[in-house]
Amino acid sequence: MATSDTSLVKSQPKSSVSFFYDERVRNFFYQTITAGTFAWLVWYLFTNTAHNLEVRGMNSGFGFLFQTAGFDTDFKLIEYTVGTGTYGRIFFVGVLNTLFVSSIAIVLSTVIGFFVGVLRLSTNWLISLLALTYVEILRNVPLLIQIIFWYLGVFALLPKVKQSADFLGIAFLNNRGLYVPSPVPGDLFWMTMTAFVVAVVAAFMLRRWARRRQEQTGQQFPAFWAGIGIIVTLTGVVYLATGMPLSWDIAALQGFNYQGGFALPPSFLALLVSLTIYHSAHMAEAVRAGILSVSKGQTEAANAIGLKPGKVMALVIIPQAMLAIVPPMISTWMNVVKNSSLAVAIGYSDVVALFMQTSLNQSGYAIEIVAITMLFYMTISLTISFFMNIYNKRVQLRER
Amino acid sequence: MVETTTETTEAETPGQLASAASSDVIILLNHVNKWFGEFHVLRDINLSITRGERIVVCGPSGSGKSTLIRCINRLEEHQEGDIIVDGMELGSDLKNLDQIRSEVGMVFQSFNLFPHLTVLENLTLAPIWVRKVPKIEANEAAMAYLERVKIPEQADKYPGQLSGGQQQRVAIARSLCMNPKIMLFDEPTSALDPEMIKEVLEVMVELAATGMTMIVVTHEMGFAKTVADRVIFMDFGEIIEVNEPHQFFNNPQSDRTKLFLSQILHN
Amino acid sequence: MAEAIHTGEIRPPPTVQGTWFAWLRDNLFSSWVNTLLTFGALYIIYFAVSGVWAWGITNAVWEAENRRVCFDINPDGACWAGVLAWFDNFIWGRYPRGEMWRINLGALLIVVWMVPIWLPGVKDKIYVGFSTVFLYPFLGFFLFAGGEKGLFLQVMLSLAIVVLIGNTLNGYHGVRSGRSLPEVVIAGLGMKASSDKVQRKTLLAIFAAAFALVFWAQMGWVLVSVEWNLWGGLFLTLVISGIGIAFALPGGIVLAMGRRSQLPVIRILCTGFIEVFRSVPLITILFMATTMFPLFLPEGFTLNKLVQVIVAVCLFNACYMAEVVRAGLQAIPRGQYEAAMAMGLGYWKMMGLIIMPQALKFMIPNIVGNFIGLLKDTTLVSIIGLFDVLNMLKAVSQDVPWRGLHKEPLVVGAALFFVICFAMSKYSRHLEETLGGGTQR
Repeated sequence: MATSDTSLVKSQPKSSVSFFYDERVRNFFYQTITAGTFAWLVWYLFTNTAHNLEVRGMNSGFGFLFQTAGFDTDFKLIEYTVGTGTYGRIFFVGVLNTLFVSSIAIVLSTVIGFFVGVLRLSTNWLISLLALTYVEILRNVPLLIQIIFWYLGVFALLPKVKQSADFLGIAFLNNRGLYVPSPVPGDLFWMTMTAFVVAVVAAFMLRRWARRRQEQTGQQFPAFWAGIGIIVTLTGVVYLATGMPLSWDIAALQGFNYQGGFALPPSFLALLVSLTIYHSAHMAEAVRAGILSVSKGQTEAANAIGLKPGKVMALVIIPQAMLAIVPPMISTWMNVVKNSSLAVAIGYSDVVALFMQTSLNQSGYAIEIVAITMLFYMTISLTISFFMNIYNKRVQLRER
Repeated sequence: MVETTTETTEAETPGQLASAASSDVIILLNHVNKWFGEFHVLRDINLSITRGERIVVCGPSGSGKSTLIRCINRLEEHQEGDIIVDGMELGSDLKNLDQIRSEVGMVFQSFNLFPHLTVLENLTLAPIWVRKVPKIEANEAAMAYLERVKIPEQADKYPGQLSGGQQQRVAIARSLCMNPKIMLFDEPTSALDPEMIKEVLEVMVELAATGMTMIVVTHEMGFAKTVADRVIFMDFGEIIEVNEPHQFFNNPQSDRTKLFLSQILHN
Repeated sequence: MAEAIHTGEIRPPPTVQGTWFAWLRDNLFSSWVNTLLTFGALYIIYFAVSGVWAWGITNAVWEAENRRVCFDINPDGACWAGVLAWFDNFIWGRYPRGEMWRINLGALLIVVWMVPIWLPGVKDKIYVGFSTVFLYPFLGFFLFAGGEKGLFLQVMLSLAIVVLIGNTLNGYHGVRSGRSLPEVVIAGLGMKASSDKVQRKTLLAIFAAAFALVFWAQMGWVLVSVEWNLWGGLFLTLVISGIGIAFALPGGIVLAMGRRSQLPVIRILCTGFIEVFRSVPLITILFMATTMFPLFLPEGFTLNKLVQVIVAVCLFNACYMAEVVRAGLQAIPRGQYEAAMAMGLGYWKMMGLIIMPQALKFMIPNIVGNFIGLLKDTTLVSIIGLFDVLNMLKAVSQDVPWRGLHKEPLVVGAALFFVICFAMSKYSRHLEETLGGGTQR
């Protein structure tokens, strides 16, 4: 064993290690300075704000959420009446409106985006060129210009009420909006909903059973279609058995306007269309890049072991492409939610327009309102990236 | 559970101590322990290396040999024990650390040349910016080292334009430009094509002949046999056996050493 | 007996290859499906192009006093007359017509300043970039805002002008003879043999003399002050995005390095800051700036709306840039960090000499992409009432003679942005290929 004879050490004894060159001292010093400066900054802003609020006679605190908001909104998914509705309720109206337009836009833009992305890779040069033009035009023009263009240029040119476009007699399109039938659930409708949920669970369990069976016996079972069949049959049977407890409220022309049904204002339609096609372009690029990222050797190897083209796509190409597609796809989804805030430019009542603009102007509780709204968006973004991190960790290719 | 053997004849007896003091122990590791999270990667390492000594460290992958030499220039931090380099203790004292790093040169398995600088600029970077040597002097010294590693004509090329063997020789010259007292080699030839290993080993042999203190982690047993003063075998984070090459290869004491030698000498 | 080895003759291939006919066949008509698709696509293209052509060119009205007249002449065509009448506003906002030359001069000067980056043979291009970012704003501010010059502004203005002249001469000599300006001056004075120190002192003296000369000259320059609320149109858009990108790069580097720091306090603060700004829409940041900044400042201290917006945009973009920088830093192999550390370079020298120069090469295409995004995002300031190019486009339809003219200005605006952004993204893709390929080993 080597000796621990420190008499061979030429430097000074431990206690006089130079203080300012000690790594730990320096780290502590840097961090204290940063924390201190930050704390001072926060204190400085805080005192200024408190003083300014006092000078202007503005109030603070979150009690305003229970006061009545004195304005109405033209589009709401939940109950809200002027005069009794509170600011808190208006916030929820706005949140639901934001989520409503965002979720439909996300679904549609993903579908269209996949479609266009695959078209970009078509062997037909013209088709690929058309897809390229679509993508490039949409990506290089600012979204706000597109939104305003759709709103002013297109939807303002919709026909007058009396000359509404008529879709099979159940939906009507005019310059006041799109009127679609709204579902009116009857008393026993909850049974149908329960049946639906049960059927979905059953379909998943069927898939698991089929996969296990394949592992053990090698036999394949069309679990996907069987599952769809179960969902449709079970839900349908219960629906019919309970006497079809779903009626539809179809809009009808009464006087100068349509009453009933579900009215989607032109601002909603313009926002939905522009968000959908703008983000479909980004989605198309992500899909294209993802499919291209799978090396050609994969297709060749899969063919060499005798897989048919359909199975090659499903088992080899698409799973690997999805690895590359999912992160930018999810970030595009987040952008849809964030960009829905541009509703404020065309008067759709999303959370920014209702809460951050109108409510703020009316009530004056600037800091609280700004904080709540930003917290809303942060929650959504962070939730989505949290789930994306989990997904990423699970599907990363295990490397040595 | 360290099976040390002939290493005990090194710095144990008073006579050896005295001669060690006079021949200058330049690196001293004393009960050094290191963990990577829960993994105990270096277990009670005790080692003293004298000035001018050539040490080869070998062992299976994961044995901690790279971690050991990376602790010596604090690319890794040890949690327990003392490491004393040229009389200065390796700890959280930043001044000592800078001093130690400028005296200890390191050659990496993946060369780590700076791709955005020419070969000459790679060599003169540290002398200019750390030792504050004027540019003309630095260039002259750099060219001298390039001649020593036999590639002076590559001075104005970029690392990407050189072969692996040439890049590693540039890396060695780059470390030498700081006039280090100790040179650490972390598997210098493992990333090279076989036909280039020889040119790098030749440079290392020539360097050893000048009396440089060298610690080399390698699988090149030929180098160990011809150049090393001592060979250290590590396994699972411990030093299993230390001996001079002839004894080590012909008369290994521990079973684990025997197993390792049988595996690598078969190739 | 050796048999004669019978080699076949070299013959052309049996089918036609490589001609336009072959290309058509392979790309457009390779199968029945493809042929149908081709005809379908051709029909769509014809339909779209002819429609747009008819509206925009054939039936368009180029001269009219107002929209009514446009309608009378041709109701099916675009009324470009309104766009032409407002064109000045689109570009220069409501800047006084007699002073518009100042904006044009400012634009010309920044182009002249930055051109050497793309010229071959010019040395030290990175200093061109630095000087543009740090000195041009003073020159620009003086030209665009005019008015009283404080001492600080005068000093920086003179400095900027001297550097601009030096930069241009440097570029000229770089292209002409591959030498830098200092080299040319030293050679011209016949001082090549003198020591480094003497050379440096001479150059410094010349610089100081030039500076004094310019300072004395500019004292007499007076420009009419133009209020910031007259700044508008594309000019304002470029000012906001220019300042935004100029701040975002150093800001992003600081935030990214802070995020990677080993010190927990710094790391948490930087990560928190970045995540907050990246998870909320820009419009909320702009609203926050205009409603809350006045509350944050001590009494009596006011910021005009333009400054509030610029601060908000800078902070917002710095966070996105921080992610670009982080990706660039992560692309550098760990071995580079280790080699630099092993040489005893220390943290700041390691970052400045080894890591950052390599990372910037990876980052440049993404930086350009970031700038394109910023340019498009600047249109959001129209919502809070600044008269950027989008607000100018919308204002046309509010103008009495052009009531209701919505589509034509928006189409022009869209086309303008399309041209600028498309060109820049093509350039960025070109950069990605030339820079990314070179660093691969």
